[in-house]
Parts: sequence; structure tokens; C-alpha cells
Amino acid sequence: MSQPSQTETSIYSPRPCRLLSVNKLTPQDKLFRLQLRDGSELQHQPGQFIQLSIPGLTDAPLSVASSPTRNGYFELGVRKAGILTSALHRLQPGEQVGIRGPFGRPFQLDDLRGKQLLLIAGGCGLAPLRSLIQYCQDRRDEFATVQIFYGARSPQDMLFQQDLSAWQTGGSFNCRYTVDKKPVDSCFDGETGLITNLLNDLQIDAANSCAVIVGPPTMYRPVISALRRLGLNSEKQIMVSLERQMRCGVGKCGHCTIEHLYCCQDGPIFWLEEVEHLRGAL
Amino acid sequence: MLKQLNYDNLLQLLETISTDYALQVPTLLADGTRLLANYGSGELSLTGPPLQRKPTSAFFPQTELLLTIDVEGQVHLPQPEKPVALFGLDRTDLAALTFLDRFFCAPPADDIYQRKRDRALIISLTGSAGPERSFLPLTEDNCDIEMSAVNGQYLALGHSELGQGFLDGFADGDPQQLEDLRRESAQQVSPAELLQQASRLLSEERVPDRFWKEIADKCILCSGCNLACPTCSCFGVQDRQSGHGTERSRVWDSCQLDAFMREASGHNPLGSEQLRTRRRIHHKLVADVERWGELGCVACGRCDRACPVGIGMLAVAEEIVRRFN
Repeated sequence: MSQPSQTETSIYSPRPCRLLSVNKLTPQDKLFRLQLRDGSELQHQPGQFIQLSIPGLTDAPLSVASSPTRNGYFELGVRKAGILTSALHRLQPGEQVGIRGPFGRPFQLDDLRGKQLLLIAGGCGLAPLRSLIQYCQDRRDEFATVQIFYGARSPQDMLFQQDLSAWQTGGSFNCRYTVDKKPVDSCFDGETGLITNLLNDLQIDAANSCAVIVGPPTMYRPVISALRRLGLNSEKQIMVSLERQMRCGVGKCGHCTIEHLYCCQDGPIFWLEEVEHLRGAL
Repeated sequence: MLKQLNYDNLLQLLETISTDYALQVPTLLADGTRLLANYGSGELSLTGPPLQRKPTSAFFPQTELLLTIDVEGQVHLPQPEKPVALFGLDRTDLAALTFLDRFFCAPPADDIYQRKRDRALIISLTGSAGPERSFLPLTEDNCDIEMSAVNGQYLALGHSELGQGFLDGFADGDPQQLEDLRRESAQQVSPAELLQQASRLLSEERVPDRFWKEIADKCILCSGCNLACPTCSCFGVQDRQSGHGTERSRVWDSCQLDAFMREASGHNPLGSEQLRTRRRIHHKLVADVERWGELGCVACGRCDRACPVGIGMLAVAEEIVRRFN
């Protein structure tokens, strides 16, 4: 093995980041606020992801959960699920991690501007969608009506509960939330049932609407069917975020392929018509 | 630039190259097989069966240090090693190298691969260099020197400036001999035709799911097909702590293994052997065509030779064409 020397950077080089704050979102999810150590902005766009590494642990892809309109930091909403995310959950403010990115194709903001938006998230899918919701909040005049639909397993599994309340009461958005199951003693005042129930009775101007879906794999087909029934049948009307196990983030390692597409470069955000015919995409 | 070398000239050329390059040459093993090995490490073998170890591993090895991150968070890249020179590649080897060059150098370019590839010297070996001196067609592409065995001599065609520099001083070759080689090369039948047919049938969705189940049932998950394939490029990135900080490496991975796409959530888009077997074939015969405009299989036959249960690419393609055409 050759001796290391500091010469150039590589597409595999991480940049050091400082952890500014850590906040609990649910028993298994935390919100991490970070800043690049050199003080520069991440310069991401809503929908992009980064590869995060902790010394000695292989890096993992994580969606950026904050909007680039919020300066001085970026945020990650992370569920404790694997080795890296478990280690991340143990870190305290002031500690350091490495990141690569931002990577991937973001939400296509130019196609969303001026449209009536249906922003639909399930479970952890609210983390990447939050970057778009915050963007809409900060640039509210660029979009027509914005409706947010969020489904989670139970009230205690709902991410970003403070944000959910603020979006509901802030006047900028119309919001509807649902859970699969509501404990009898819960103070959750949303609905119970599948997220498709929130869409079935909607009255929308279909021709001027765009929907964005981010959620677990099982959510896509029923939600797409519901949107089709609402009249979203043209191209560039439904955007989906397809999460895969990106390992390199730069279209080389092959772990995130969907037929000929590389999710880390061609996605993770796709128009539905780009992927619905591809086996295993949805 | 066309030159003529005798055996001693060839040895002289290899000796010259080896002073500045980490030269690998076809080397005879005790069991009669051959592989690309370091120059001088064994008996040079200029004719014989195909080289089973893929030549592309010189630029994309099974394990490779990408960088080191010290305790301060500073990144250090490995110091450049001696540039690589490969001698003895045939037409399919060069096709595989061309494929990987395009893949790794497409934006964003993989700087780790490109740095090694840019400094490399590639010499093909064709003509009467196959098993029992059978004919190997000319490569005519992506190499610095094309060396062709003809009547016990070697016709050397310098394709690049680098290659031509090494041929300076040798006797001129006979252009008629080159024309004869080209004519004979054009008459060679390539198994790529079989692959094209299988590719078409797959694109037309003529291959039912039950076929993949049948093939997958035979697979013993050894991943030999992926490890032998010169165009397979999938890898995992691994970080390990050492005394110097963190070493980031990459290691070949196999799409035939269950964990290939499994996510921390448990979701696995390739969650069955049937899906993974389809992916292995479909990716090279359909997805690569869609993305890069050509097949991802160069018909070298390495996976067919490596597979203990007879479901390498050419065998599966033949079965697809036989049953679904």
C-alpha cells in the first residue's frame, strides 16, 4: 500500500462538518443541524442528499431536510436504523462528522413554480419533503396553493411535530395529517386511516396542479392511483422521490440502479413517467 | 507506424517498458492456464487459452485504498505508484477496457480510476496467439501498440504517440501482412451476435419471469460471474480506522448477493435470487444499451468459464434465443 500524501481531492473525499444541535423528533428519529467547518454553505437544492461519514464507519446517504433558503446551516432528520445512524444518534453538539455532496437531481422547482402543489409524504419521507416545504414557505409568492398531506403509523411516529403544527396554523398551507392507528388516549386531532383517504375527496384544478410524493415503497402505487383519479394524468404532474442504497453518490458503485438509471445521479427525484414503466422502480 | 519484431526484439521491448512501468504479461501457470502477472514473475506465454483474470482489474482492483482521512479531518490521497503497462490483451479485453473507461470517466469522473488509466500503456496481442496458435482478430482500438503474431514474428502497429515512441528503432513491417490480418479478422464470427439477439428479446419483454426463476434456482451464489467479468464495476465503499486515521477503500461487490441493494430499513429492491439473476443479465444486455448505446457484455466468456453451474452470460443468452426467439 502506498504512503498517503496530501495532493488533490477526490470525488470520495469528505468535507468536515460540525454538529450545531441535536433534537429529538420521535423515540427513533432525531434532527441534526450541521455546518460545514469552513463556514461555507452546503449549496444544495431541495430534494438532494449527502453522504455522511463518522470516523471508522462507512458513509450512508441522508436526505437534506432543510431548505437552502435558510442560511448558515443544513439539517438532517435521521431515523436510527443501521450502524451509521445509530452512531450518529450518539453524537453531541460540537462533535464532527464528514459529508460528501450534495448529490442528485433535486425537486424540479421551475416546473413547480406557479402551480397548485400537493405535497404528499409518508413516514420518513417527510424529511426530504421538508426541504421543499420550507422552500415554499420562504418563497411563498412563487407558488399557487400548497397542500401538505402526511401519514404516519401513529401520532408518536410523526416527524417534525412542531413544524406540522406551525404549517397547519401558519396560514400559508392547507395541511391534513393521518395516522394508521390512534391510541385512545392520544390528543392527535388529525385523521385515522391510509393517506389515500386524504386525497379521495379533494377538489382541485387538476390541469394546474403538480403532486410530489415521498414515502415508503408501499405508498407510491395507491397514492398515484388516487392522484390519477383526481385528474393528474399528464406528463410533469407527478414527481416521486425514489430512495435507494446509494454508496458512492456519484453514479459509480452500482447499488442504486433502477434498470438503466442511477438513482444517485439521475434521481432521487423523478417525474413519474420517467420511472413508472421500469421494473422495481415503484 | 508499422514495425516488425522478432522474439528477441519483443523481449527487448518488454524489458525496456518494465524499467518505467509496472508491466504485466501473459504468464504460464503450472496447470497450463495463463494469467496476466508481473513481468519476470514466471514464464512468458505468447500463445494459449484466454487470460482468465480480467485485465481491467489493473485499474479497478478487487480492493483499493481511495484515501486516508487523518485525525484532523485532512484528506490524503495515495501517492502515485509506477504507471501500469499491460501486454497481451485481445479484442474482447480492449472492448471491456473501453467500456470501463467510458463508465468511470463519465462526469463526475472517478479520479481514482482515471489517474491510473491516463498514465497506462496498453499493448494488445493478436494474430496467431490463441490456443494452439489459433487466430485472434486484430483489436484496432484503445491500445498504444497492437502486436500481432505472424509466422513466428511480431507485427507491431503503434496507435498512440506513446506506443510509437517505444517502437522507434525497430525494422519496418510489411503493410501487406497487416492487410492480410485485417482481412482474416473481418471473417471472424463473434458471439456478440447471439448477445444482440438475446438483448432484443429481453427488450421486447419476450422472456417470462418463470425463466429467471429457473436460472436462479441453479445459481449457488458464488458471485464468480461478477468477479470474473471485465465490465462489472459495482463496488462497496468501506471506512476503517487505523493508526493514521480513517482509511476509505472500495471493494468489488456482486449484484448476485442478497445484501447488494438491501437498505437499512429492510427494503430490498432485489430481494430474491430471481430478481438478482434477471438484473445480472438484463443490466448488461438491456440497461447498458439504453444508457451507453452498446452491450455491457464483450462476450469474453470469462463468466461462462467461472460459473460452476453453467449459467454464465453466453449460456443464458443462448437459452433465451433458443426458447424465446
